Amino acid sequence: MLAYVIRRVLATIPVMAVVALFVFSLLYIAPGDPAAVIAGDQATPADVERIRQSLGLDRPFLVQFGDWVWNIAHANLGTSMFTGIPVTKMIAQRIEPTLSLMAVTLVFAISVAVPLGVVAAWRAGSLLDRAIMAFAVFGFSVPVFVVGYLLAYVFALELEWLPVQGYTPISEGLWPWFENLILPAIALGCVYIALIARITRAAMLEVLAQDYIRTARAKGLGQSGILFIHALKNASVPIVTVIGIGIALLIGGAVVTESVFVIPGLGRLTIDAILRRDYPVIQGVVVLFSFVYVLVNLLVDLVYTFLDPRIRY
Amino acid sequence: MKTVSRRTVLKAAAGGALAASTRLAAPALAQGAGRTLRFVPQANLANFDPIWTTQYVVRNASALVWDMLYGVDDKLTPQRQMVEAEEVSSDGLTWTFRLRPGLKWHDGEPVLAKDAVASLARWCVRDSMGQMIVAIQNELTAVDDRTFRWVLKKPYPKMLFALAKSATPSAFMMPERIAKTDPFKQITEYVGSGPMKFVQSDWVPGAKAAFEKFADYVPRQEPASWLAGGKVMLLDRVEWVIMPDPGTASAALQNGEVDWWENPISDLVPVLKANRNVAVDIADPLGNIGSFRMNHLYPPFNDVRARRAVLMAMSQEDYMRAIVGDDDKLWKPLPGYFTPGTSLYTEEGGEILKGPRNLDAAKRLVAESGYSGEPVSCIVAQDQPITKAQGDVTADLLKRMGFNVDFVATDWGTVGARRAIKTPPGQGGWHMFHTWHAGSDCINPAPQIQLRANGDKAWYGWPKSDAVEAEINNWFDAKNLDEEKAVIRRLNKAALDFVVYAPTGFFLGYQAWRKNVSGIVKGPLPFFWNVNKASA
Amino acid sequence: MSVEALSRISVPDDLAVAPALPDVLPPVKLRRGFIGLMRRHPTVTVGGGLVLTLIAMALLAPFLATVDPTALAPARRTRPPSPEFWFGTDMLGRDIYSRVVYGARVSLLVGFSVALLSSLVGLAIGLVSGFVRWADGFVMRVMDGLMSIPPILLAIALMALTRGSVQNVIMAITIAEIPRVSRLVRGVVLSLREQPYVDAAIAAGTRTPTIILRHILPNTLAPMTVQATYICASAMIIEAILSFIGAGTPPTIPSWGNIMAEGRALWQVKPFIIFFPALFLSVTVLAVNLLGDGLRDALDPRMAKEI
Repeated sequence: MLAYVIRRVLATIPVMAVVALFVFSLLYIAPGDPAAVIAGDQATPADVERIRQSLGLDRPFLVQFGDWVWNIAHANLGTSMFTGIPVTKMIAQRIEPTLSLMAVTLVFAISVAVPLGVVAAWRAGSLLDRAIMAFAVFGFSVPVFVVGYLLAYVFALELEWLPVQGYTPISEGLWPWFENLILPAIALGCVYIALIARITRAAMLEVLAQDYIRTARAKGLGQSGILFIHALKNASVPIVTVIGIGIALLIGGAVVTESVFVIPGLGRLTIDAILRRDYPVIQGVVVLFSFVYVLVNLLVDLVYTFLDPRIRY
Repeated sequence: MKTVSRRTVLKAAAGGALAASTRLAAPALAQGAGRTLRFVPQANLANFDPIWTTQYVVRNASALVWDMLYGVDDKLTPQRQMVEAEEVSSDGLTWTFRLRPGLKWHDGEPVLAKDAVASLARWCVRDSMGQMIVAIQNELTAVDDRTFRWVLKKPYPKMLFALAKSATPSAFMMPERIAKTDPFKQITEYVGSGPMKFVQSDWVPGAKAAFEKFADYVPRQEPASWLAGGKVMLLDRVEWVIMPDPGTASAALQNGEVDWWENPISDLVPVLKANRNVAVDIADPLGNIGSFRMNHLYPPFNDVRARRAVLMAMSQEDYMRAIVGDDDKLWKPLPGYFTPGTSLYTEEGGEILKGPRNLDAAKRLVAESGYSGEPVSCIVAQDQPITKAQGDVTADLLKRMGFNVDFVATDWGTVGARRAIKTPPGQGGWHMFHTWHAGSDCINPAPQIQLRANGDKAWYGWPKSDAVEAEINNWFDAKNLDEEKAVIRRLNKAALDFVVYAPTGFFLGYQAWRKNVSGIVKGPLPFFWNVNKASA
Repeated sequence: MSVEALSRISVPDDLAVAPALPDVLPPVKLRRGFIGLMRRHPTVTVGGGLVLTLIAMALLAPFLATVDPTALAPARRTRPPSPEFWFGTDMLGRDIYSRVVYGARVSLLVGFSVALLSSLVGLAIGLVSGFVRWADGFVMRVMDGLMSIPPILLAIALMALTRGSVQNVIMAITIAEIPRVSRLVRGVVLSLREQPYVDAAIAAGTRTPTIILRHILPNTLAPMTVQATYICASAMIIEAILSFIGAGTPPTIPSWGNIMAEGRALWQVKPFIIFFPALFLSVTVLAVNLLGDGLRDALDPRMAKEI
C-alpha cells in the first residue's frame, strides 16, 4: 500500500516537470527578446542589457530553467512586470475568493449531480431519465457566462434575492460570504453537474446490471439500500475520476465566472495578465493551477484504493 | 415598487441567527463599515505615480493621498492650499512661498520646504508648464523649514495656475525621499499629506484600492471648491472597487453594493435614472474632448496630407454617437481644440471637419501622400468605453479610406505604456491610439500638453510644428483677453492645418450615486471631501 | 467538455478496456435504408441535421446576411429587433442578425479545424506511443503534463504569446486538445496489440504500416469520431470564452463570442445583443454534442462506458 502511494507520488514528478518546462518556455516562445519583454516599454537598450545580466538570461537555457525551478521550490514565482509586486503575493491576495468559489461549486455540483445520475440510472429509459439527460446536455452546451448573466438578471436584479457581484471574505461573516457565492457557484456548476450526472448514470447502469445486485435484491434488500450501499459504492471509481478531471473544467470556468460576477480572484488576475502580456503572472498562475490539478488527481488515484480494493498497480 | 429590499428580508429570515452571531463577533467592523464609501472608478489603478503617468485615474486617486501647493476652484482660479502666503517681487522674477503651519506627512513627519522643492523639481521634468519654468529658472531652493524661493530669469505670470491645475501631471507634493525618484521611474512608496492615507496592504491591483481618513490632516477654513478650500473628510474609509464590466457596475449600483460610479455609460443611464435610490447627473459641465492621435515620426502619418485626409473623411457625429449614444444633448461637434462655452473657444480653421464628408477626396490625398499599403497599427484599449468606442469607429474609417488596418486590442494600462515607445511601429511602436481630455484641461494652451508641437518633447505622437509653437508662445506673452483671442484663433488654425491630433468631438459624461450619499459635486475629477453617506 | 473519463486513468490493459471491435465498419448497419437508420438513431438525426443546417448557414452567409456585418452606423445603435434589423443593432449600429450569420463561420471553422487537427496529430502521437515502446513512457509523460494544464488556461497562455487571430485561436485550442486524443488512440493500440490475430500478423512478418492500416485504424475510427465531435463542441465554447475575455478572435471579425463580449455592458437594458449569439452558440454546441452522443450509441453501445 505504502509502496503504491510512493510510486504514485513519484509518478507525478515527471508530469510536473513537463508542465514546468512548458510554462517556463512560454517567455522564450513569445516573440521578441525576453529581456526586452521584462524590461518593459520605457527601457533603453542599456536597461535591457542590465536586466538581461541581472536575470542571468545570458546563461544556458537549462541553467536558467533549473534556477527558475529552484525559485519555485522556494515559493518565489518572480515579480509582476506591471505592478512590481511579487507574483506569490498577488496570488496570495486573490486565492481565497477562487478557492471559495471552487469549493462551494464542488460541493453543490456533487450533491446535485450524483443523486440526479443515480435516479436517472434507476429509472433508466423513463421520461425522468430522458429529462435528466437532456438537462445534462444543455448543461454543457450553454456557455458559462450566458448562464451567469441570466442568473444575475433574474435573481439579483429583478427579484433582488442575491447580490449581483463581489466577494465577501469569510472573516466578515459566513452568510455574506456564502451569499455572494451562490449565483456564481450555480453558473459555474452547471457544466460540472452535467458531466457528473452523465458519468454517474453510465457507471450506475453498468453496476446495476451486475449479478450481485440481483442477488441483493433477491435477498430482499430495500431499494435505497441497494442503490446507495452496493451500487453507488461500486460505481464510485469512474465518478471520482470524473470529479477529479472536472476540476480542470472548474478552473477554466472560474476564469469567466469571476469576470461576470466581479469576484477578485485568480481568474480575473489571469485575464488582466493576459491582456497586458504580464508573463511572470501568467506563468505563476498556470504553474499553480496545474500543480493543484496534478495533486487533485493524485488524491483521486489514492482514493481509488479505498473505494475499490481491487485496484492495485 | 420594492420599498424594502427583498434581500434584506430574506437575509433577516434565513440568516438571522447566523448573521447575528457573526456580526456580534466583529462589532468594530460593523461600525466602520457604515462610513465606508464604495466607489467604482473609470479604470484600474494599475500604478500609482501621478507624476510618472498622465492617466486621469491615477490623478483622481492621488488627489486623496497627496496635497498640492495650490488648487483650482470651480472657476479654474488658483487658490492657496498648502501655501499660507506667497510673494512676488516687483520685477516678477522672484517667487517666495511660505507653507501653512502644522502640515504633516502620513508617517507623522512634518512637511518641510525641502520636500516641496524636491517635488517641484521632479514635477517640472514631466510637466509642460514645469518645463517652461525650468527653462527660465535661476534657482529653486528652500530658505527655511517652511519657506522656499523660486528665482526666474523672465516673469512667468501663469505660475500659480501651473501649480494649481488639475491637468495631468498635477503638482502633487511628496516627501523629499520619494520625490528624489527618477521622474521616468515609478515611485514605490505612497506617503503624502493629503486628507486620506493609502492603505497599501489592501491594494489588489485590478480589483480594489482602499484609502483611510488621515486624522492629522488640517483642512483650510474656506469652503471647499474643487481642489481649493477645506478638504474636510467626512468618510472614514473610501474603497475603490474596480469593475471592468459596466453592466455589472450598473447592477451593483442599483442593488446598493456600491455607492458612487464615476462614469456610467450613457446607455445605462435611463435604467439608473428610473431607480428610486440612484441619482444621476452630469459629471463635469466642462465635458471632454475626444482625441485620435497619430504618430508623426513614421509613415504614413508623418505626412500632413495623410493626416488631413483623415480629418476630411472622419465624421465627428459617428464618434460622438458611439461614445454617448442617442442623447443629442450630450455632444457637440468640435472644429478645434478648445472647450466650447469658454472664453477662448474658436472654430477658426475648422472647415475641414464641417459639412458632408468627402471620402473620395480623402482617398486621393492619402494616395498623394505616398501610402504604400503597409499595416497601420491602432492600439485600442478595450476596457475603457470611450477609447473602445472610438477605436471601433476609427478602424472602420481607416479601412474605408483604404488603409491596411492592424487592430491591436489591449487594455488601458498597456496603451499607457506602449504609446511612450518611439521605435518604429513594426518594432513595438504604434501608428495611432485614442484618448480623451477633460474640457477643463483645454480652456487655454497652458495645461494642454496634447497641443504642444515641440517634436521630441511633445506628447505621444511627437508632432513638430514651429508655427504652432510660435503661436503658443505668443499666447503666453499676450497682454489681455482680446490679444489672447486673436492668438488662439491663429493657433487653432495652425494646429488644425498641421493636424497636431484629430479631435473627435466634445462630449459630456454622467456620474451616478446612491441617494443616501450627499455632497457630490460636478467637476473635472471626483472630489471625496465633504461627501457623506447616511446609512442605507 | 467531453466525457473521456477513462482515457485518463492509467489502467492496466487487462482491467477495463472493452473487447476489440470486430473488423467490420459501420456501413453494415446502413444497408437497411436511410430512413430506417434515421428512425433507429434519432439523436444522430437531430444532431446531424442541426449541424448540417448550421454549416449551410455559415456557407451561405453572404446570401443570408441582410447587411454588411462590419458596416458601422452609430446613428442607429442599439435598436431592438425590428423588421429591418431582425435581431436589432449593436452599440455601433451594426446589424446583429448579419453578424450572427457570419459569426457561424468563425465558430464552425474553429470547431471543425480543431477537431480535425487534434485528431490527426493525436492519432499520430498515439500510434507512435503505442508501437514504439521506448518512446511510450516519454511521450505519455509529456501528454500527461499538457493535460494537467486546464485547457482554457493553456489556450489563454498560448494566446498571450501571439496576436489575436482565428488561426492562432485554432492552434492554441488544438494544442490543448491533442493529449486526450493521443491517450485514446494509444489505449486502443495497446489493447489491440495483445489480440491474437494482431500478434499472429506481426509474427507472420506483416509490416507495421500494414498492421496499422488494416487492423488498428478501423478500430480507432469509431471512438475517434465520437471524441472528435466532443472536441468540436468544446473548441467552440473555448473560442467563445476566449473572445469574451478579449483574448480570442479580434474584434474586427464577427464571432459569437465577440458579439457577446461587446454586448455584455448592456445585458440589463438591451439583452438581445447577448441573447441571439448565445442562442445560436448553445444550439450549435448542443447539436454537436447530440451528434456525438448519437454516434457513440450507434457505432458501438459498449463505447458508452468509456467515452
